[in-house]
Amino acid sequence: MAIHILEDDPGVSDSLRLFLQGLGHDAFVYPDAESFFEADPPGADDTIIVDLNLPGISGAQVIVWLRTLAEPPRVVAITGQSQTVIEKLRASLGDVMVLRKPLSSRILADIV
Amino acid sequence: MSPDAHDSTASTVSEARLLSVLDTAVDGILVIDERARILVYNKACESLFGYAPGEALGQSIRLIMPSDYAAAHDGYMESYKRTGTRKIIGIGREVRGRHKDGTEFPVELSVGETTTPEGRQFIGIIRDLRSRKEQERRLNELQADLVHMARVSAMDEMGAALAHELNQPLTAIMLYLQAATRAMARMEQGAAGAPDIFRQVLDKAVHEAERAGNIISRMRHFVEKREPQRRPVDLNSVAEEAVELVMLGLRGPGRMVRDLDRNLPAAIIDPVQIQQILVNLLRNAIEAVKDRPDPTVSIRTARRSDMLTVTVQDNGPGLKPEVLPTLFKAFSSSKRTGMGLGLSISRTIAQNHAGDLTVDPGGDGRGAAFTLHLPVIENVDTVESAAGGTGDEESSGRGQPGVTP
Ligand SMILES: Nc1ncnc2c1ncn2[C@@H]1O[C@H](COP(=O)(O)OP(=O)(O)OP(=O)(O)O)[C@@H](O)[C@H]1O
Ligand SMILES: [Mg+2]
Repeated sequence: MAIHILEDDPGVSDSLRLFLQGLGHDAFVYPDAESFFEADPPGADDTIIVDLNLPGISGAQVIVWLRTLAEPPRVVAITGQSQTVIEKLRASLGDVMVLRKPLSSRILADIV
Repeated sequence: MSPDAHDSTASTVSEARLLSVLDTAVDGILVIDERARILVYNKACESLFGYAPGEALGQSIRLIMPSDYAAAHDGYMESYKRTGTRKIIGIGREVRGRHKDGTEFPVELSVGETTTPEGRQFIGIIRDLRSRKEQERRLNELQADLVHMARVSAMDEMGAALAHELNQPLTAIMLYLQAATRAMARMEQGAAGAPDIFRQVLDKAVHEAERAGNIISRMRHFVEKREPQRRPVDLNSVAEEAVELVMLGLRGPGRMVRDLDRNLPAAIIDPVQIQQILVNLLRNAIEAVKDRPDPTVSIRTARRSDMLTVTVQDNGPGLKPEVLPTLFKAFSSSKRTGMGLGLSISRTIAQNHAGDLTVDPGGDGRGAAFTLHLPVIENVDTVESAAGGTGDEESSGRGQPGVTP
């Protein structure tokens, strides 16, 4: 299983990758949704960590697309936005778990 | 007026009348002879300078001058008598006077000259500037407060976005430090390469901490209350700083185009206040383009003969004709949350800098373009960057070359 990180902030994506690799996972980083779509589709036992505030195609749109896959992977959304913004996105997010930044390493480690 | 001019009753009567006129004058009136001795000293002078007529009459005018003027005054009079070059006569200017108790105060002095049988005499009219100065100071203070308040309010509106921006480096720092802890544990087990990774990860964490620090100092630099100041600054760096500030936490679609003329002479400005104008214009522009398919905001610096200009242009809908007449008036906002202070304060700041803020309203498919004009001041050789945003406050404030104290 692999973890795919969709995050445009280089500091956040690089530290996430190092952290997850340190936990023994295969971690891959994509600066935007477009480059993620160009790669092979994720497998059913993969995990996708997606920032909701991506440039171009938004994180919420990625989540909607992932749900259309035959065998959807696990999705964790991350965001620095306020609770009100998250609530507005609720409809498209479905029951996806949303972690607010700054992320807690303990919670992340528990989830993946 | 001189002691030997008292030979006829007619002249005595007119002299008495003259003296009573002098004494009702609000301004201080003095007459001195060619040797700078005081011949006439009216009532207003008594209260201005604290000397009784008996103490002042016949004394040198140096009595009521600060010592630095007094030393130079004899030289002035000498040179005027010799060359006729006027430094003050018929011109009038702001100088300092000295009270009997030693305090110095600003006065406006106008000097006239007459020729009498006893030689040349000079008449000085002295207006106390203290209350006017005090009013000016209070007005400046009020205006500075208002300008500062507008900055704080702009920062308040940007607060959520800025908090978001801080979350990024904080997240990264936390994860890097976790990774460092793990590298440390592997180091203790003697894993090859672990020390290198440990060091690299710590370096990255430091870098992110610096990034967080820069965000904070940008914000602080913008909202901190400080005395207004003018110094030679590179306008481009003020523009960049303004762009950086409004772009904090503003991601997603949209382009910001910078077109900066790298050969601009320095501008003598208050960098934070000019940044405030640009932040205002940029935020208005970003707001105007937010529902456009290809949102674009551009900022351009240029020199147009004796003016430096900064133009902020957007591809939004342009200005509605109905907002134009009151555009630069305070409290004219079309937004739900806007105070409508942005443009009115921006124009006031520009005009205080002997510049202006103008608008091309656009419309019919063109966006609005606002242009800030600032005068070019020649012969400025030392230019500073806007500084302060990313550097530390101390080094940016210290040693300002090219500014007279
Ligand atoms: N680039 C622009 N495009 C279209 N309309 C604009 C633009 N800039 C300003 N305006 C209009 O001018 C009005 C006044 O702007 P101003 O910056 O003075 O106040 P505000 O943005 O409404 O409030 P504040 O700046 O105090 O938060 C705005 O409400 C808006 O209607
Ligand atoms: Mg505004």
